[in-house]
Amino acid sequence: MPAQSPAGPVALWRTRSGRAAAFADRCPHRGMRLSHGFVRGETLSCIYHGWSYAQAGNCLRIPAHPALTPPDTIRVATQHVEDGGGIIWISVGEPAAPPPRFEGLAPLRSMVVEAGIVALEAAAGTRAAGGLLDYTHDDRAVRLLLAPEGQARTLMHVLADEDSNPGERIAASRAAESLRRVAEDIARGGIAR
Amino acid sequence: MTRDTMIDGWYPVSLASQLDAHGRSTALMGEPIEVRRGEDGNAKVTGGNGRALPACIRYGHVWSSLGDPQKPLFAIPEADQPGRRLVDVGVVRVRCSPLRAVENFLDIAHFPFVHTDILGAEPHTEVQNYKVEIREDEDEVWATQVRFYQPQAAKSAEGGITTEYMYRVPAPTCSILYKTCPPRPGEWDVITLFVQPLAEDLCDVWPWMALFDDETPMTDLIHFQQTIFVQDRSILENQIPRLLPLDPGMEIPTRADLTSVAYRRWLKRHGYTYGAQLVAQ
Amino acid sequence: MKLYDYVLSPSCYKARLMAALVGVKLDIRPVDFHPGAEHRGPELMALNPAGSIPILEDGDLVLTESSAMLVYLAAKAAPQWLGNDTAGLAARVQQWLSFSHRLTASLGAARLHEMLLRPGNIDALQGQGTAALRELEAGLVEQHIRGQRFLASDRPTVADIACFPYVALAPDGGVSLDPYPAIRLWSRTIRGLDGFIEMPGIHRLHELKPEPVPVVGEA
Repeated sequence: MPAQSPAGPVALWRTRSGRAAAFADRCPHRGMRLSHGFVRGETLSCIYHGWSYAQAGNCLRIPAHPALTPPDTIRVATQHVEDGGGIIWISVGEPAAPPPRFEGLAPLRSMVVEAGIVALEAAAGTRAAGGLLDYTHDDRAVRLLLAPEGQARTLMHVLADEDSNPGERIAASRAAESLRRVAEDIARGGIAR
Repeated sequence: MTRDTMIDGWYPVSLASQLDAHGRSTALMGEPIEVRRGEDGNAKVTGGNGRALPACIRYGHVWSSLGDPQKPLFAIPEADQPGRRLVDVGVVRVRCSPLRAVENFLDIAHFPFVHTDILGAEPHTEVQNYKVEIREDEDEVWATQVRFYQPQAAKSAEGGITTEYMYRVPAPTCSILYKTCPPRPGEWDVITLFVQPLAEDLCDVWPWMALFDDETPMTDLIHFQQTIFVQDRSILENQIPRLLPLDPGMEIPTRADLTSVAYRRWLKRHGYTYGAQLVAQ
Repeated sequence: MKLYDYVLSPSCYKARLMAALVGVKLDIRPVDFHPGAEHRGPELMALNPAGSIPILEDGDLVLTESSAMLVYLAAKAAPQWLGNDTAGLAARVQQWLSFSHRLTASLGAARLHEMLLRPGNIDALQGQGTAALRELEAGLVEQHIRGQRFLASDRPTVADIACFPYVALAPDGGVSLDPYPAIRLWSRTIRGLDGFIEMPGIHRLHELKPEPVPVVGEA
């Protein structure tokens, strides 16, 4: 699936055996976005010409030349991926520390907000700390993990209490929708001013 | 990006069959233009400032130019052969470089993945060696002896066959494909891609065909070609960068891409760079 | 059963897809919608004065609304697709069938504008399309929390087929699907159903086939 990183768009994928990988979202052959590709076994293939890449980014197969072993120089840039607690983390370059763990929380959904973190903070009435924003809506606390995508867009991951029941989780999802509406209104107002 | 060397070329701007006195507002290389039928029945094309632009009707389309064409529109002698059915496929807009649209048309290696079970299918993915040249006399790019296994090569084809192709690029945004013609061995079906550059990253594509096929209803022929082109469209709108990179370090061609290599070299040699990116960004 | 069909129309595709999924053979009558505007011609206007396609004909029955075609095909061949088991399920199916018309009016119109140069206020259409996609995403997230993979139930219904085509083809109209992970999962589940067929703009799920043994030196 497509995702964003500070180093540009990435194609995020998981091998059949369950290992996650993040590639620059561009096939080096003809520039097609790899996030449109397909996963067979341990490889990701480009939808355009079927060039297949291993998790390390090296090209394994060029279907137009089935007898050819692709040279090692054909490769896609990869980024470091950590897969923990239901959240996939990407780091550009070697990470200094492992990603944080959120004890007692389960990831519920990810949503794109057309607003920056400042507008989200204003909408929630609290400040984000360590990328986490606590939001209380109708006496219900929701915890949001924020990943900025530029100044005016934020990828917001909704975290719910690990022990919450389906009704509470649905309520948390709806609370996040409300927060997004308010934050986007604030962001639009900010542009109008 | 310069557009100077391409400005004197001819470009398709309308279907001839849809030309009327009311007119069609469109654009050519960033300039708004109007295309209509004049009182004398000929096509009239006017530019942004109201100036009259060159116009001609050929191969089912109205052609025009923002500049001063030094040559008449390229010839397709087969188009005048008796017995062919001429197929107006109609326009499809694509958010991509006009040059990327042509390059994709010259490519066969994508057939099994993009035109699955029609123009190609796994495991028949191999592209055999073929011949590519820039013909100096005509100043055109040609690829010949191109062969590919196809499950359903044309609307009239029954079952899989190895199809032979020739590709020809007579102008930077136009390409002609000659393809084995199942009902008439020895003749070639003609399938063209005429591209109208609206902007460097936006084009109207006008496929057109001249076929030996007396059996297939016209609508089926149109739908077959629209199917093929719209399958390509989602690829073309997702290539990065949107402009065609002429910097050799930017993309990695293989032997299967020799037509595209020659096409890019020919574009560069002539300075046909409207819709191209010269250096990596 | 005869379907007046245009190969690039997502509404026509709904009928083709439903028929394929429930195993009904359709007699396809291609209509030159573009560039010929045959749907506005005398023969088709006589059949459907609204001047739209698809049109499904079965004996005396003439249907011109794609949701009605889905219901008819399901009722004839595979009634479990109707989702009539409970009052709640029947209502949810109707809810999404009605919702699907908003997808046609927004994403469908944006696609016609961007691809086939039909008139329209593209910014407004794309904005309405995005709003509809957000609703669908939220609905699918809630279904996922309930342990259900499809729009109205844990099995596919006509509601899924009514919504799938215009959603899957949203990028044709310049509306990205990148922000919607639940839609992505749902879409892949539908594309993996037995009997699923594609239309131009929706690629084959090549991952469903194992890596083939390459053929070398053919031709």
